[in-house]
Amino acid sequence: MGEETMDLAADQAVEAILRDELAREDRAAAAVVPVLRHLLASDAHALVRDAILARVRGMVVDCAAQLLAAMAGRDPAARSPSLADPAMIDFWADRLMRDEPLLSFCHALANEGLLAEKFQLRRAIDPVLSPLLQELIASDDPAIASLAMSALAAQSRFIQSQRRMELPLGELPAELFHAVIAIGLRHAADDTARAALERVPLRYDEAASRLGLLARLVAAMRRGAVAAMAIDHAGLALFSSALAAQTRQPRESVVLACHEGQGARLALALRSAGLSLPEIERQYLLVEPAARMPRAIATLSPEHAATMLAASRAAS
Amino acid sequence: MNTIDRHDNLLGTCGLTDAHDRLLSADEQLAELQERCGGDLPGTLAIPELLELVRQSRRMGLRIARSFSAFDGDAMISGFARIHPLTEADGGGCEVLIDNWQRSALAPPSNREFAEKIDAIDRATAEVTARLDASQRVQVLSAIAPDAADLQAAATAQPGAVWSDLVNLSAVSHYQPLHWRLLDGAHCGFDGSQRHWRIRLIPLGPDAHNPVGFELLLIADEPLITVPSDEGDQAGSEDSAPTRLIGTALTPVLRQPIARIIANAETIRARLAGPLRDEYSEYAGTIASAGQHLAAMLDDLADLEVVETPGFATAREPVDLADAASRAAGILGVRAQNRDIVIEVAGTRGEAVATAEFRRVLQILINLIGNAIAYSPVGSTVRITAGPAGEGRVGVTVADEGPGVTPEQAERIFDKFERLGRDSDGGKDKGSGLGLFISRRLAEAMDGSLTVESAAGGGALFRLELPAQ
Repeated sequence: MGEETMDLAADQAVEAILRDELAREDRAAAAVVPVLRHLLASDAHALVRDAILARVRGMVVDCAAQLLAAMAGRDPAARSPSLADPAMIDFWADRLMRDEPLLSFCHALANEGLLAEKFQLRRAIDPVLSPLLQELIASDDPAIASLAMSALAAQSRFIQSQRRMELPLGELPAELFHAVIAIGLRHAADDTARAALERVPLRYDEAASRLGLLARLVAAMRRGAVAAMAIDHAGLALFSSALAAQTRQPRESVVLACHEGQGARLALALRSAGLSLPEIERQYLLVEPAARMPRAIATLSPEHAATMLAASRAAS
Repeated sequence: MNTIDRHDNLLGTCGLTDAHDRLLSADEQLAELQERCGGDLPGTLAIPELLELVRQSRRMGLRIARSFSAFDGDAMISGFARIHPLTEADGGGCEVLIDNWQRSALAPPSNREFAEKIDAIDRATAEVTARLDASQRVQVLSAIAPDAADLQAAATAQPGAVWSDLVNLSAVSHYQPLHWRLLDGAHCGFDGSQRHWRIRLIPLGPDAHNPVGFELLLIADEPLITVPSDEGDQAGSEDSAPTRLIGTALTPVLRQPIARIIANAETIRARLAGPLRDEYSEYAGTIASAGQHLAAMLDDLADLEVVETPGFATAREPVDLADAASRAAGILGVRAQNRDIVIEVAGTRGEAVATAEFRRVLQILINLIGNAIAYSPVGSTVRITAGPAGEGRVGVTVADEGPGVTPEQAERIFDKFERLGRDSDGGKDKGSGLGLFISRRLAEAMDGSLTVESAAGGGALFRLELPAQ
């Protein structure tokens, strides 16, 4: 508590530059959800040919299809758009799109999928099996090895479902899953549907979802998790989970920080994880090959970097 | 007892809560954290982030998996919690499974930052503050503590007095004023206050070597207790605050580096950052276990120093020995399971209630049961029996099925640093040879006794006897 309020002297000019940079990035990031909602709600979506929009829409529609399947008493995984009434899917997708956290999450997932593809094309970073994951699978510890295998399977399912623009309900974090089921219960047509929907959470286990598995794997690496602080070594998925755990930021922010134009955030996050200047620079150049990193970042202490990130999160 | 490090455990620890988020039962590590966070067992979950997760899981009725961390007073604990809500029929609480239990010393901040933080903390907690000029004469002094009102009056009455003339410096016998660096961190007392005060002198001005003045802070070592103690303790007397070399000086400084050695060696041993040749992993294992030995030794030495302090006294409270025995057995349950040892606790609650200090009784029992587990063959049974023991006495015995002790060994076993030849155990034994010595001193401080004899089955039988309530 005292730490944040204590006056730690640092180069004011450096901070001012970084703070302005952060504020600019925050404004850009904060505009995403309102604009997204606006674009999705408009009838002009056929014209908005943007990969992110398409994926977000696809994922939300897929969640709607799963809700419908669950209400009809079928396994949500066995959803099939052809079985459901398109009008019903639109109805439910419309309800789900009003949930901002869900949209935000889908937006981050869509970005993660596209970034992973971009890193593969430009940097030959495998979106599924990274060198680090390979090492973890070969671990002597059977528990870590099997966790890493499960994470690998989940990651390959994720890449596949991103291509299909799908999002299984079980992959949602608990709060969002809960919110989606609550939306279903609120608008369900009758008691049979409600009763069927109430059975769905019994099968939910956050620990078995991709994000749950990645977080468990990072936790299992313990102090070895510093090995995951490199996108090229760990792959984007494991890198994001590790950096989020290390800096106690939402994973979505870390994913978005890997986007071009969000470099200051990435550099600050890496600094707050305690990385040195050359290590930060290496990662920065992967993300922003054309830009120059503010080298003054090395003068900031990790705690101070964390404080700046937290302050910008609180302000946005 | 050993508060520095425990083997990190991938399978971790688990616990059970009820519909009101009370922790009903928990494994050793979780139970200890609960107690260190100020909670009881059973009692409301006291680990803030876990409590939040359990509430969330219960409210949503969903299985959640999140990492959590907590501060246990010495170190950061972190782990990965999986929380499974239970149905109403099963109590409506949650099952809490924690993987990757990890205890890590807080990273030491850089010296400058650390000094800044210490200064800020001292400024916030000082109850007497003053502004001094370059020759340490008081310009203004203000006190917020009632017992320092006299000091403030004295400073007002003698403007321009050297501050050290207003207080009684402890353990400083030089002509005043001393160089400020020698006084920074020293202790003092003053008329009107029974408390011990720590001195901070923070130089003012751009050049720390040639300060234009000082900020003087007096920070009390104890809170002010409004009811005056009737012991007639003189303020500032040297005996009432004996300086303990190991406990207060050495342990805090050594704890962190040792914990880091252990933690980093464990990381290498478990190859958490990537593959490594077997030999190196084994070396790292040796480093880690040597570090753990050192850590345990340090704790034992600190305990030893406490029990050897003149005037060491324990609290007097009713202690149910059967209850204490089963708690101690519970705490060591995991360690026993690892060696396939069964711990049997016999004795009815309420039958053997002693007048003693619960914490100390638990410490003795953990030491005895820990020894019994360490020296028993795999798959054997450790029997603990609590009950009345003669006129006005109650007792508890711990019997193992190990090699037992000969009469000659029984003579020496409670001696300081006595290890009965266990050094030859290939370095696996991590005892300091102080545990039983400390336990006996604790028992004696509570007007009890600790003895050893041969158990019926051939092992050793330790008997702790205490005055009955």
